[in-house]
Amino acid sequence: MTNLGTLDIRNVNKRFQVAGDGFAAIDDLSLTVEPGEFLSLVGPSGCGKSTLLRLISGLDGDYGGEIQLGGTRISGTSLTRGLIFQEHRLFPWLTVEENIALALENSHLSASEKRASIAEHIALVGLNGFEKAYPRQLSGGMAQRAAIARGLVNRPALLLLDEPFGALDALTRAHMQEELQQIWQAEGITMVLVTHDVDEALYLGDRVVVMAPRPGRIAKIVDVDLPRPRDRTDGGFTHLKAEVLEALGEPR
Amino acid sequence: MSTSSLRRASRAAIVEPEPTHSAAVIALPTTAASAPGANVTPRQQATPKTRKFLRRPVLLGALTPLALLALWALSSRAGLVPQLILPAPATVYDAFIALVQSGELFANLSISVQRVALGFAAGAGLGLLLGAGMGLSPRLERFLRPTFLTVAQIPVLAWIPFLMILFGIGEALKIVIIAKAALIPVTLNTLDGFRNVPRAYLEVGRIYRFNNLQILRSIMLPGALLPVFTGLRYGLTHAWHSLVVVELLASTEGLGYQMVMARQLFQLDVMIATMIVIGVIGFTLDKILAQAETSLRRRYGAAA
Amino acid sequence: MNRFEKYLGSGVTLPLLILAAWYLGVHDGFLDPRIWASPEGVIATAREQLTDGSLYEALGASLKRDLLGVLGGTLVGLALGVGLGTVRLLDELLSPLLNGVKHIALFTWIPLMSIWLGNGELAKVTFIGFAVFLPVLLNTYQGVRSVDPRLLDVARVLKLTRTQTLRKVILPSAAPSIATGIHLALIYGWLATIGAEYLFAVAPGIGSSIMEGREQFRMDLVILGMAIIGGVGFLLNVVANRLQARVLRWQAPQ
Repeated sequence: MTNLGTLDIRNVNKRFQVAGDGFAAIDDLSLTVEPGEFLSLVGPSGCGKSTLLRLISGLDGDYGGEIQLGGTRISGTSLTRGLIFQEHRLFPWLTVEENIALALENSHLSASEKRASIAEHIALVGLNGFEKAYPRQLSGGMAQRAAIARGLVNRPALLLLDEPFGALDALTRAHMQEELQQIWQAEGITMVLVTHDVDEALYLGDRVVVMAPRPGRIAKIVDVDLPRPRDRTDGGFTHLKAEVLEALGEPR
Repeated sequence: MSTSSLRRASRAAIVEPEPTHSAAVIALPTTAASAPGANVTPRQQATPKTRKFLRRPVLLGALTPLALLALWALSSRAGLVPQLILPAPATVYDAFIALVQSGELFANLSISVQRVALGFAAGAGLGLLLGAGMGLSPRLERFLRPTFLTVAQIPVLAWIPFLMILFGIGEALKIVIIAKAALIPVTLNTLDGFRNVPRAYLEVGRIYRFNNLQILRSIMLPGALLPVFTGLRYGLTHAWHSLVVVELLASTEGLGYQMVMARQLFQLDVMIATMIVIGVIGFTLDKILAQAETSLRRRYGAAA
Repeated sequence: MNRFEKYLGSGVTLPLLILAAWYLGVHDGFLDPRIWASPEGVIATAREQLTDGSLYEALGASLKRDLLGVLGGTLVGLALGVGLGTVRLLDELLSPLLNGVKHIALFTWIPLMSIWLGNGELAKVTFIGFAVFLPVLLNTYQGVRSVDPRLLDVARVLKLTRTQTLRKVILPSAAPSIATGIHLALIYGWLATIGAEYLFAVAPGIGSSIMEGREQFRMDLVILGMAIIGGVGFLLNVVANRLQARVLRWQAPQ
């Protein structure tokens, strides 16, 4: 994986037209994410956090301001920027293996390199033995792991995660957070995680960006200066949690 | 036993392909029918952008038929297409007017409509009885099912020669054929409707100690209303298409016969005019019934 | 369930009763023997036609016609369905026209086609293809149009090209609809084959032989023909269901 440098978001505006009225989903937002950083974005519905993620991924264009990765403006999607959705979005007609292989359709690897990479990533997310399974045969957690493997297999420099564990039960969720952290530590990928879950944001993030709605903007940035793996019951953790919750509840 | 196999078997019973309907029927037993609604997606929601474009498709859609019509008229005028292969639009229009003025069209049309009305009434009536009977009584269903499926499996087209031997080519033949065409979808959909009345409603009825008649009147009939109507709609469409076939094959009156005569006399203008009349009637019937079904669905949709 | 129900209430009772009435009717005279063939007469005719090969010949001719028409109509329907489903301009230009055409009762095209294309094989196969083309087109179109846009987003994130998206996302996602279309094609194709043999000029085929039977008042031939037409339709259905289940394995509940 190549280091593509800093993700630089400068004065970004994004407006949507609803019933003829324009409203600002994101209003003059600036943010810098360092290479290798884990950044969490939390905020209530409608604060523009998912919109921001779609802009960074290149799925949506047509915004004001500038989003640059390593000094070049983002336009369109790229294999160097992976995106993982809340729903796994695996193709139901493909097996786990084939779903992951689809991400390599346009990579320059040879067939044997692809095979090796797929196997490696299946192992990474702990899905050995389920290579030939169809999505409907997987539990929610397993399907999301497969989706993470698909997101990682291209070795993106930046991985965007849009509430990836939002649909999972609490136990699976905690487990997956741990695994994601291990992957992040091992691979050194820059990750931007959008979540509703303050615990999750603090557990994983180097920084937690708290966003506020109407118009979507940054309310506060909280540095999480705690050693990993973090302890959710630790005093420092609960202190930061209170700080984030306060920032979330504050502006109306 | 699932009705899906019943339905599938009914496919072959249709005399005339009715793509959308049959597709809908065949999709019903699987979840496919609900799939488009189930994944309500941004594209399907009326976003302001799509609303803005709403008028454009109408214009574009009218463009192709108009262009074809113009091409048809111009090539006829330029003598590119012999009148014996394709008469000019104006000629077809004149033929239509002549058919109207001579009273020929009206005479044939009224014969055809009478046949469909009688045949449909008989077939749909029997279909409602059979469907409701089988839907309410598993015993009756077990008794009738294989026989019904066999009758349904043999398409109207194959019944025609058999019934021609039995009844000649008189009115009885047409009525029986049309009735058979209407019978199958009406029976299957009615059966389905009665079968699929939610058990939860029946339990409500039991709580309030309804007797059988009350259950039938206040729960089964309203609960099955929508599928029954759908069955009637398919039934009528199938009846109309079967009428055309039987009149093409064995008749001395009616719209189909008008086409056969025109074919023998090489009156292409009359043929095309008649085709258009048949098409417009089929289209109108379908639109009216589809509209009625939509408004029924809006009112009783929750029950289905 | 008591014994009476178990035996007399079962599904075979009614067919047996009908068969018995038919048999007795022909032999005891309440059915006109000049019109009615006896059940054993139908069986004898079937046996005779099987041994002299005329049945195979007729069925072969019909199936060949059917196959050609279905193949042609399906290919055109598929191509146009994908085209209309993916190219918006094409959709806007052609869909209203096609929606109008589908309301014209299929068999009313035959007189016109007989003038344009004659009464021979070409006209018959074209008619069968035409009958098949619309359901395939409509179902393909519907399938292509209802691809989940969220999966299309994934395709964009994975940087799939247009062709890759069509091949790997749109077509597999539309496969259930397409399979339904092809299922309908098999059934409609068979009906259109019989109709074409009735209404175009006579040529060897199962539809022609049943019509011949009617002209000669040979009820045995007619009933045999009915059974064959129904049977082939049934088999086509079975084949189509098998194919559908096979193609759509990923969908099957487990």
